[in-house]
Amino acid sequence: MSLLLDSLKSALSLLISLDPELLNIVGVSLSVSCSSTLIASLAGIPGGFFIAHSNFYGKRLVLTCLNTLLALPTVVIGLLVYSFISRRGILGPLELLYTQKAIIIGQVILIIPLVTSLTIAAISRIDNRYRKTALTLGATQLQMALVIVKEARYGIGAAIIAAFGRVIAEVGISMMLGGNAKGFTRTMTTAMALEYDKGEFVLAVALGLTLMTIAFGVNMLFHFFQGKTKIDVI
Amino acid sequence: MLYEATGLTRTFKGRTVLNLEHLAIESHAIYALIGPNGAGKTTLLNLLAFLDRPTTGTLQFRGLVVRYNRQQLLELRRRIVLVDQYPILFTSSVWKNVGFGLKVRGISKKLRAHRIEQALELVGMEQFRQADAHTLSGGETKRVALARALAIEPEVLLCDEPTANVDQENQEIILQILQRINREHRTSIILATHYLAQSRGLADHTLMLEYGTLSDLTDEIAGNPVFPSQKIAMEE
Repeated sequence: MSLLLDSLKSALSLLISLDPELLNIVGVSLSVSCSSTLIASLAGIPGGFFIAHSNFYGKRLVLTCLNTLLALPTVVIGLLVYSFISRRGILGPLELLYTQKAIIIGQVILIIPLVTSLTIAAISRIDNRYRKTALTLGATQLQMALVIVKEARYGIGAAIIAAFGRVIAEVGISMMLGGNAKGFTRTMTTAMALEYDKGEFVLAVALGLTLMTIAFGVNMLFHFFQGKTKIDVI
Repeated sequence: MLYEATGLTRTFKGRTVLNLEHLAIESHAIYALIGPNGAGKTTLLNLLAFLDRPTTGTLQFRGLVVRYNRQQLLELRRRIVLVDQYPILFTSSVWKNVGFGLKVRGISKKLRAHRIEQALELVGMEQFRQADAHTLSGGETKRVALARALAIEPEVLLCDEPTANVDQENQEIILQILQRINREHRTSIILATHYLAQSRGLADHTLMLEYGTLSDLTDEIAGNPVFPSQKIAMEE
């Protein structure tokens, strides 16, 4: 118990003093996670909208594949991407291995199915009368799509938050493709794993606290925009 | 002629819900489309609003054959508007809802504001202009949906059961608005209704649909709230 309390006390002092190493790790984590979430959202939201709104041959198969990909372990993705970007891989000449770009590629693969699936769920819940109303009022297909996305914005927002939460907390891809290089590819989770291996808990606990604070902050921000912070009491 | 349809059918999963040999609708008049539930009224309105396409047959709008390509559909839809039986308002203010059709047409903010005000005044909802659309009652929602449709000054207004599920006061207001816009703006109106009395008091022409086909509406039936099939059954 004293170990935890001591670690917690030291971790708080690290946070309060804005330790440069800690800030660097947090910065890398946020940069990589935000980039992968943005790219996955740009691909997954339109993709999810298209799948939800279209009736094409093989739609069920696509949905089944997406649901299966939700359970894809990070180490499998790490291994797959590694085989492409390692020196002997077909993308080897690009020298992506052990860079932040490599982590982003892996994380995008990890969360695209999540963003797409949750977008499909959010869009599918929207009453079809919104589509019909927009069209009868003279909306183009794009304007109609924007109406649907606007109505489904909280569901889509939740998809983005879930995706961000998934990548900021993952360790497998960051470790395998980033290599945990100090100052370059060391993220909060890989640093925590390393500190644990070394038996040093102070930085690990500080990073754990930071991670939880970021997750809490992002969710608070989402609820603020959702306008549901006020709960009606009957 | 406003609409002319020949051999128009609409089939859902092998079941023909609408089968019209010939349908002609004139401009500037009020048409009441009456019939029991499942007669095909909503299906016909969706076809006339170009929100659905027929399984077979041809439909003409002002002499123009509808080809159902994206560009033509957009142009046609911008001349017609359908107010649903259970209209849905977008998650925003009443003002933004009423201005939606104008905004998608790229109408300037100033003109938009003028037309929104006019439409809200016409339906008597001007005091709700800044209200959250989802806080309105059923009758108020119908009136705002009507204002949203009227703001775009359509050539044709299609209304699916405009007075269903609203109180007597709102029913009268809605019917008065329909009469007024037909009289003052010469807007063609086609409304689906269950009520023969309503069609007699409001419409210039009445079309009776039953089992997806048009029935001959005699004066006798027009004055008597029974549908042809019920009448035959009663005679038997």
